[in-house]
Amino acid sequence: MDGTAEEWAALETHASTCAACGQEIRAWKNLSLVAAELHEEWDSPTLWPRIEKALTAQSTTPESSWWQQAFGNWLLGSLRWQTVAAAIVLVALTGSAIWFASSSKKHDGLQNQALLNDRTVNEVERAEAAYEHAIDKLDAQARPQLENSSTPLMANYREKLLVLDSAIADLKSQAGMNPANGHLRRQLLAMYQEKQDTLEQILEAKK
Amino acid sequence: MGSMRLALPWGARISSQPGYREKRVEPSEFTRAASEPADRLSSNDAALASACRAGDPRAYERLYHLHGSRMKSMARNLLGTSSDAEDAVQETFLKIQRGFASFRGQSSLATWSFRILINTCYDARRSRMRKKEVAQEEPEESRRPEPRAASAHPSLRIALERALAQLTRHQRDVFLLYEVEGFRHAEIASMLEISETASKNTLFQAKKNLRQMLEAPRSTAAEAR
Repeated sequence: MDGTAEEWAALETHASTCAACGQEIRAWKNLSLVAAELHEEWDSPTLWPRIEKALTAQSTTPESSWWQQAFGNWLLGSLRWQTVAAAIVLVALTGSAIWFASSSKKHDGLQNQALLNDRTVNEVERAEAAYEHAIDKLDAQARPQLENSSTPLMANYREKLLVLDSAIADLKSQAGMNPANGHLRRQLLAMYQEKQDTLEQILEAKK
Repeated sequence: MGSMRLALPWGARISSQPGYREKRVEPSEFTRAASEPADRLSSNDAALASACRAGDPRAYERLYHLHGSRMKSMARNLLGTSSDAEDAVQETFLKIQRGFASFRGQSSLATWSFRILINTCYDARRSRMRKKEVAQEEPEESRRPEPRAASAHPSLRIALERALAQLTRHQRDVFLLYEVEGFRHAEIASMLEISETASKNTLFQAKKNLRQMLEAPRSTAAEAR
């Protein structure tokens, strides 16, 4: 009911003379009234103490990136052969990404360069865009298979994609603030490649 | 406008419940933050965010007292039970604490928190579905929905709950946030990272679909003759 007071007044005036419109308006309003009853409030005297305790416990544990924790937990919990395969692919592609980043021109004398120059940043961003385009296409093909199947394998793939998407979003956000950070860019490229491979595996499983 | 008569007495006047429904038009910490430029938090919101980021436990408690009730209600409607809802709210606060490093104030603290809550609830739903996939089917009695508080229109409410489950996730979220929890479209847009127009369109589609689901088939009366 976001209309202005004037709009509602005009509508109510019309509804008073038009039975069909009046009924329509009453139906929409009644839906809203019943919906409001779905709001529930109840006492939870133990909830805040539980939350407070958990927050305190969490604040005293060493920090690590949440997606590293989630991805690590996924690696521990998933099917073994997929975990091993994913780890091998990740290591291989991280190495490829490092080679890619190091193939651009650097100043002489600089070794283990962590910062990318402008030209390399542009190249990396183009590569990232190409990955995103390819992934979008694969995602469109794989999505029906993922959403319509309830097998443990597909459930596993769904979980993996969720973790990858969150990791990609997190890395993109960090890379956005530090575009020349080669380490972040390499991790992001590795995640894109992992997601692409996962979608390809899903399509393979469909056959 | 269409003129389909609903089997349920949607066309009849239902007396409104006083109190809660009036809250949408009142200024609130949500609406003040939502109406401000997206790149600036209100001073209260900024102070609370700053205190949370600094790890002040009283700040988190303030956040809980400000928004915990609505968070519990939203989670209850997404997850079905009050205990699952409370677990989701707890998990949300933990994620808020972990995620403060990435909170840049592009939205209000409340809309950011609700965004996390909604994602947490859907994660919990997926987790529950995965457990059902690998576990034995539970006995029918244990899956009975938790009874709700007394309602002025219990049968309508039950019908609406069932119809809501058939909406898309997006439509259900917008409907619950707008019609049940009383948020404005500007706030919903920030929570769900969509435009205000998209929020309004989605709500319209959701309500249209709900009405269609809750209406009796037109041919019922004709077939009965």
